[in-house]
Amino acid sequence: MSYIVPFGIFLLLGYAAIKGVDCYDAFIEGAKEALPTLIGLLPNLAAMLAAIAVFRCSGVDAQIACLLASILEAIGIPKEISSLIILRPFSGSGALAMLSDILNRYGADSFIGLSASVAVGSTETIFYTLSIYCGAAGVKNARYALPAALISGIVGILCGIAALRLVLPV
Amino acid sequence: MICSGIVLGAIRGDPASVLSALTDGADNSMKLILSLCGSYLLWMGLINVANRAGLTEKLAKLMRRPLSLLMPNIGEAAAPIALNLSANFIGLANAATPFGIEAMKQLSVQNGRKTTASKEICMFLALNASAVELLPTSVIAVRAACGSADPYSIVLPTFISSLFAALAAVLTCKCFEEIKG
Repeated sequence: MSYIVPFGIFLLLGYAAIKGVDCYDAFIEGAKEALPTLIGLLPNLAAMLAAIAVFRCSGVDAQIACLLASILEAIGIPKEISSLIILRPFSGSGALAMLSDILNRYGADSFIGLSASVAVGSTETIFYTLSIYCGAAGVKNARYALPAALISGIVGILCGIAALRLVLPV
Repeated sequence: MICSGIVLGAIRGDPASVLSALTDGADNSMKLILSLCGSYLLWMGLINVANRAGLTEKLAKLMRRPLSLLMPNIGEAAAPIALNLSANFIGLANAATPFGIEAMKQLSVQNGRKTTASKEICMFLALNASAVELLPTSVIAVRAACGSADPYSIVLPTFISSLFAALAAVLTCKCFEEIKG
């Protein structure tokens, strides 16, 4: 598995060299074009990440987590993972830290632990991805992209836990 | 979002934490860019090598038909979108982001550089949220570190659920397209 990418890059450079491409020159040219994009991204990201940080520190997310816990319990999903589900779209590393906390507390192979793992694995840090990509394209009004992404995330978690119940004899 | 956060922070009587959150958030943007910078330069360099060798053109030709089912007005974005989705699939988040940024730039050209997202942009963003991944390596690593007897037991359910999430993303976007045009 870990050889695929280096090998792919080897093939790419080899093929380009055979085609008579000046690889070094082409690489420099491509990388040079990347710099303005990154710098252009920065102001957008600063605004959006600041907004997300304020939203999170205001304690709204804790209240949503409370509400979510009771909904989750009603449909048979361990309520212990509600804060994790709220954190996941905002922070990848934060979600992994919380996952490790849940696994240590309830056991990695318990139903709670498995549900938490699937919930993290089948979703994405939606707000970061949206911030970066919209910043890159200069998009200010993402229209229905956020609701669609959130719905897809919810479906992912629900299906993941349904699949868990099917696959594992718990 | 900022305004609602400030109001709520004031109600809870903790304006200091609001300010520190604002600075932290802006600070994070710099860290995020720095962490992105190296891999972005590397992959954009390699893409340009592939460009000159005529490889991205071939990939775009190959992928245009299947992808245009989802995004009719795909134009030049077919190649970076294909690269983004396959990098995500094999768990290369570092490479997926540069390809994604490139795809968004191309989609934005197709959209006439408008600040309002096109159908194609929404579809691409939603698809990226569903994280279709063969091996969720970071989750497996955390499970192994926490003493799981079988860290890989979640691979199949995770894969199935991310497929359903991708399906949901496509269907939701199609529904919104119908409603909002």
